[in-house]
Amino acid sequence: MFSMILKKLTSQSLKTILTLVFLFGSWQLLALILQTPALPPPGEALKSLGAIFVSEIVGHLGVSLYRVVVSLIIATLLAVPLGLYLGKNKAADQISAPLIYLTYPVPKVVFLPIFLILLGIGNVSKIVLITLVVFYQILVTTRDAARNLAKEYVLSVKSLKASEWEIYRHVYFPACLPAILTSLRLGLGTALAVLFLVETYATREGIGFFIMDSWSSLAYDKMFAGIIAMGLMGFVLYLLLDGCEKIFCRWVNP
Amino acid sequence: MEAYLTIKSLQVDYYQDNRQITALKDVNLKLPYGTSASLIGPSGCGKSTLLSVLAGLNQKYTGEVLLNGQSPQENGKTALILQDYGLFPWKTVWDNVKLGLQIKGIARREYEQKTEEILRKLGLLDLRKRFPAQLSGGQRQRVAIARSLVLEPELLLMDEPFSSLDALTREEMQDLVLRLWQETKLTILLITHNIEEAVFLGQRIFVMSACPGTIIRELENPLAGDYSARGKADFWELAASLRSNLRRS
Ligand SMILES: Nc1ncnc2c1ncn2[C@@H]1O[C@H](COP(=O)(O)OP(=O)(O)OP(=O)(O)O)[C@@H](O)[C@H]1O
Ligand SMILES: [Mg+2]
Repeated sequence: MFSMILKKLTSQSLKTILTLVFLFGSWQLLALILQTPALPPPGEALKSLGAIFVSEIVGHLGVSLYRVVVSLIIATLLAVPLGLYLGKNKAADQISAPLIYLTYPVPKVVFLPIFLILLGIGNVSKIVLITLVVFYQILVTTRDAARNLAKEYVLSVKSLKASEWEIYRHVYFPACLPAILTSLRLGLGTALAVLFLVETYATREGIGFFIMDSWSSLAYDKMFAGIIAMGLMGFVLYLLLDGCEKIFCRWVNP
Repeated sequence: MEAYLTIKSLQVDYYQDNRQITALKDVNLKLPYGTSASLIGPSGCGKSTLLSVLAGLNQKYTGEVLLNGQSPQENGKTALILQDYGLFPWKTVWDNVKLGLQIKGIARREYEQKTEEILRKLGLLDLRKRFPAQLSGGQRQRVAIARSLVLEPELLLMDEPFSSLDALTREEMQDLVLRLWQETKLTILLITHNIEEAVFLGQRIFVMSACPGTIIRELENPLAGDYSARGKADFWELAASLRSNLRRS
């Protein structure tokens, strides 16, 4: 058992290493071909990352991490219960569907100026915007998963005289959890993209700001150090979500 | 003997796109305490509908349905086993079996003890940490039975419980149901498409007509539960007679 886990882990880290080698190899190659200061070779970027990680990057990264994680948590807490509720209750679903489909495709980023005016230039406006974007993704996925749940499962707990809460707890939530985690993974990608965008406006904190600031001061090695740091942050968050899936959704691929 | 289950002029209608479908019409049935009964009938005749009424899941019926003098909703001592979907794929064998007791609000120590007891009785204790996807079809249905029996029901309803199993596993499961019935003296109502199964497990056999379903024949079956009967001529005769009944319905 233990040795199996170890084997799995080493094979996984081997894959990760190979991927990294491939990525940095291509980057190196591209840098050699292009020969422009705008694309420094990975060695330089890494060197700069090592030099300024503690002194400059960690602070910005912490702020960004805070913004993304808080947004994801709030979006999940709002979207999952609502999605499960809509998926379970046909009437509410039918009433809300037009509203959702009309507002879902609107690019929420256009509201950034409004949020900045209403909520100030601090973290709140950024978190609200990221939350709003991710909220829709989780909501729609969760609702659809709940909608498609085989009704035999529900009948089966109903015949045990389960309360509404117990039906959610024992059937809807666990049944939809794999879909919820998938939507969170997609949401994370979106959240990072939106994060970068909101951090380029009216703020002097965050990894997005750091990258853009390095760019405008032509410090390309710093800029790429920032990009690597942002990539690492995303990678760690993905790993966390994967871990959640392995622990809570073991039943999918036992 | 006093009847446990009494059904009088039961009718169930479904509405779909403003069209009325009568699934069951004028169904009358009486079942004494501790009897095992099988119900056969052509596909779509309303057998599952009948069970959902008895299990208290369908309350839109007319007529009278009494379980021990109570309506199905009031009674709540009925267990229902379906062909599939019986178990929750996201719960382990242990969690599946204990769920009913947990929902009933029984104290933890008591439900853990009862769960362990029933799993041991059905030879499932070693499988308790597995998920349904890690079990064979027969094991899965055994867990479904354990999950129902742990609630100590008075009436056990089964809707084609073994139809996806291979012949041998199926016979094993039939023997298991028989053993449990003899031990617990539950009242059992079993829907099956398998005539031999109906004869082996049903002291009473009800034959239903095509849609709208009603009971067209009811017979006493002395061969039920007789292991040796499976090979006897009487057994095959009865099966053949039922088969011709079904053809005509
Ligand atoms: N929810 C529903 N809405 C409309 N019609 C339904 C519904 N459920 C069942 N019916 C119809 O009622 C009739 C009886 O269905 P039921 O499922 O009870 O049949 P059955 O005897 O169990 O069939 P089978 O042997 O194939 O399982 C069928 O004609 C079916 O189409
Ligand atoms: Mg059926």
